Amino acid sequence: MTAAQARSAVPAVPGRTAGQRAPSQWWIYLLLILGVLLMVGPFLWMLLGSLKSQAEFLVSTPTFLPKEATTGNYQRLFDQLDFPRFFFNSSVVAVVVTVGNVLFCPMLGFALAKLQWRGKRLIMGLVLATLMVPAGITLIPNFVLMRNLGLVNTYPGLILPFLVGPFGVFLTRQFMYGIPDELLEAARIDGANEWRIFWQVVMPITVPVLATLGILTFLGSWNSFLYPLVMAQEPNMYTLPVALATFATGQYQADHGMLMAGSVVLVVPVLLIFILFQRWITEGIATTGLKG
Amino acid sequence: MTAPALVRRNVAEKGSASAAPRHTWREDLIGWSFAAPFVILFGIFLALPILAAFLMSFTSFGIRDIQNPIGASFVGLDNYAKLLSDAKFWKSLGNTAYFVVVGVPLTLALGLVIANALSRGITRFRTAFRVGYYLPVITSIVAIAVVWRFLLNPDVGLINMLLRNFGITGPDWLASPALAMPSIIAMAVWRNVGFAMVVFVAGMQAIPAMLYEAAAIDGAGRWQAFRYVTLPMLRPTILFMLVITTIGYLQLFEEPFVMTGGGPLDATLSVTMYMYQQGFPFFHQGYASAIAYVLFVIVAAVAFLQFRFLRTDDAPMEATR
Amino acid sequence: MIRTTLRSPLPAIALVVALVTAACGTNQGSGAGSAAPATAAGGSEPAASTGGSSPAANLSGELTVWAMGNEGTKLSTLADAFTKANPGVKVSVTPVDWGQAVAKLQTAIAGNTTPDVSQMGTDMMGQFGATGAFEPVPSDIASSTYFESAWNTNDVAGVVSGVPWYVETRLLYYRTDIAEKAGITSPPATWDDLMAMAKAMKEKGGSKFGISLGTKNWQEYFPFLWQNGGDVVDASGNPALNSPQAVEALTFYDSFFKAGLTPKSVPEGFDITPAFVKGDNPMFFSGPWHLGLIDTAGGADFKTKWAIAPMPKKVTGTSFLGGSNVVVFKNSKNKDAAWAFVKFLSDPKTQALWYTTATDLPAVQAGWDDPIVKSDPNVALFGEQLKDTKAQPVSATWSELSSALNDTLEKMTTGGMEPQAAADQMQKDAESIGVK
Repeated sequence: MTAAQARSAVPAVPGRTAGQRAPSQWWIYLLLILGVLLMVGPFLWMLLGSLKSQAEFLVSTPTFLPKEATTGNYQRLFDQLDFPRFFFNSSVVAVVVTVGNVLFCPMLGFALAKLQWRGKRLIMGLVLATLMVPAGITLIPNFVLMRNLGLVNTYPGLILPFLVGPFGVFLTRQFMYGIPDELLEAARIDGANEWRIFWQVVMPITVPVLATLGILTFLGSWNSFLYPLVMAQEPNMYTLPVALATFATGQYQADHGMLMAGSVVLVVPVLLIFILFQRWITEGIATTGLKG
Repeated sequence: MTAPALVRRNVAEKGSASAAPRHTWREDLIGWSFAAPFVILFGIFLALPILAAFLMSFTSFGIRDIQNPIGASFVGLDNYAKLLSDAKFWKSLGNTAYFVVVGVPLTLALGLVIANALSRGITRFRTAFRVGYYLPVITSIVAIAVVWRFLLNPDVGLINMLLRNFGITGPDWLASPALAMPSIIAMAVWRNVGFAMVVFVAGMQAIPAMLYEAAAIDGAGRWQAFRYVTLPMLRPTILFMLVITTIGYLQLFEEPFVMTGGGPLDATLSVTMYMYQQGFPFFHQGYASAIAYVLFVIVAAVAFLQFRFLRTDDAPMEATR
Repeated sequence: MIRTTLRSPLPAIALVVALVTAACGTNQGSGAGSAAPATAAGGSEPAASTGGSSPAANLSGELTVWAMGNEGTKLSTLADAFTKANPGVKVSVTPVDWGQAVAKLQTAIAGNTTPDVSQMGTDMMGQFGATGAFEPVPSDIASSTYFESAWNTNDVAGVVSGVPWYVETRLLYYRTDIAEKAGITSPPATWDDLMAMAKAMKEKGGSKFGISLGTKNWQEYFPFLWQNGGDVVDASGNPALNSPQAVEALTFYDSFFKAGLTPKSVPEGFDITPAFVKGDNPMFFSGPWHLGLIDTAGGADFKTKWAIAPMPKKVTGTSFLGGSNVVVFKNSKNKDAAWAFVKFLSDPKTQALWYTTATDLPAVQAGWDDPIVKSDPNVALFGEQLKDTKAQPVSATWSELSSALNDTLEKMTTGGMEPQAAADQMQKDAESIGVK
């Protein structure tokens, strides 16, 4: 019996599974809370740190709460950084990269999962191989390529190398394997060509996985650091992480408060997106057919 | 997936001519039209640079070649041969192996335990916990480094401060050759456990409740339910996560890069870090490429072995990141 | 990328007028400035100023300048001043994070997308100079304007490829109150004094340690090497890292570790300030940036409890010279404006302005005559030390070699390697990696 069958047969009702004695749950809560504190603690510290003045970072005994909370770090951050610009850059790049992945990866995923064509295995192997090559080694070749295309310091230059990626292909391919062929056959019998089938039958079913892919891609792009640094020639093309690192650290000393404030600002958007869409991720991975 | 679909797919996968029809040119065209956008973008911006880097590994591309990359001199397998006798390279390999062997099981085990607790142990605040545990995953390494450096600071850091409350003088975590790598492992596990948790939670959601009910009727306790229902049903997921995490951890870079710079005494130097060091500050781009491709071979081999020994008979699970 | 735009003739005429008057002003400024170093450098100043005024008349176009870190963000102040003096030139400053500056410069050179002007750390000159990307410095920029060791950091294989911008050097910071408690009332003048003071501060002054020395930092070790009369290379440019002077210096350096006077483990990203203020570590070597840090951390009451002192002497009292230079790239399409900007940076007035903006010390000797620079006695001490400094050799492989040297230093200070063995290892690395 496969999971897909089982799922449709008996709806999973997590939490109300038999054998749970209510009183013994409390220690699980306790452990989980301790764990979450460990996870979240450093962020709390970072948040509180962003409200401390530079002097408080130089004391010999660490403090948790700021002695004198100040918004000076944030003020400096927004004064010294052209914040809207960097935010905009990061957003544009992340959104376009996400859209590209969500559009083009399922297409190949579908072709790999459901269609027969010459060269299929070769493409599969190449894409797989890409995953295993360490990042960073392609920095210079990529840059020279961009230079020859005249794309240095442009949005396309920041976007194009990431517009598609192997991860999206595997995720969608894996999921699409699980789509019953009968569905596709039925559509074919009705006279639909493969494109229509793709858009009108396959993609709607794939939405949870697409959402997952979208979120993960967005997160990856938002936080990327080395490539945007190299690709941008002028600061008006910097993305947020690059700007933060550049403006907050000097040759001999760092502006700790500003670093903290900037880090908080970096995390907030991705956190919001994750909270809003995290349900999709779980559902998306669950329906991918990874469990068998 | 239904049986007929399974058969058809397996047959198609094996590409045998006996059961499946030969590809018509029309089918090829359709297939390629779907693949085209990806393949074109991939070909130019991913495959080409990777190929260029691979070719670079056979040259002595260095400082003086920067202005004229095509003119770099060909040295054949010299870079690879040099690697064999490079003590630092072997040390970095050992460090990376240490990291993977300890870090992967730790990450997966903890992820599993937390996922189990979240899915079956509690009923409320699930979302809050999920978000909390996932927080480190979605944060930029720049921010995380800032926080963890302060945490691990022997004098002013939180960890040693807490230890002081118990009367223990904490060591200088990142400056001790023996403790630096465990500190990095702790940080990496902390960072990635959330992702493992999310995947396992998803996997567990698909386990039908009636299996647990049946087990309970048979008198199984919590631990037995975990061992005889959860684990077997999660096996493909575990394999998937095992491969992904291993591939990712073999390419360990960010954590030692921002925290220790590879020290102390190269205790935390990972292969990817060594590659980057050779490439950028030291300008030996050819040598760095060789390191990259040796790592590539290792990663591919490990992934392949994991599949060989651990695959289920179900869907041919390919590695994803 | 860089275009010269010519609109109506009126602005151009206005431009020329403005530039001519500005040039006169510049002559005035450097004329006054040249009075002081003329005694030291023997009258080559006028040559510099005349050379500086002629290209200024036709400056226009765009200028891209790269500068690192938050020093880079402050450069816009100078850029604005330059544009005021040269309204035809549009200067755009790009701050670049220090941590990734090398990667960014490498890729820029490879992709032929270098800026016109860039800041360059003194230890980066050799590496990037070897790529052939720098434009040689025109002969009308005189070496005597600058501190000698700063100028020497621009000598790439015999060609002067950059100009000093700002410098830093190291002095001894020490707790006067702890020293007093230990019975010492004056700063250490010799090596023996230094050792005695560290011991006393630990034993009688009540500190946890006597001094803070880097475990793997060639910039902390080299001053001792130089003070003992040794150097990284000998007169013919070959490595001399295991000379008797070097071994002696290493032994002295290691003796602090062996005696437990300095901590054997130093965390990454460590800053000495809290420990100094607390009194755990009463002595350390550092540059001018710690003046501000200690004031911030210690507060007003702390000012009387510490002081800085010149380097202790063995044969000499040489200190380390660091800082940044500026270079112009060969591919620049606006070399006139680029060199004008470089000269502008070297103008003593600009140097003083930079000091007030970023508290970086002037690399131009005349800059030290400015009243603002002279006003702080601590800063004046740095100025004194600048008269006896040395820097590392300009080498294409310095990054790799310095990394190897640091590894060996670490093995000696924390890993039990003996000084003679360390010196031999350093020599071996220098010979195989190269110092040219």
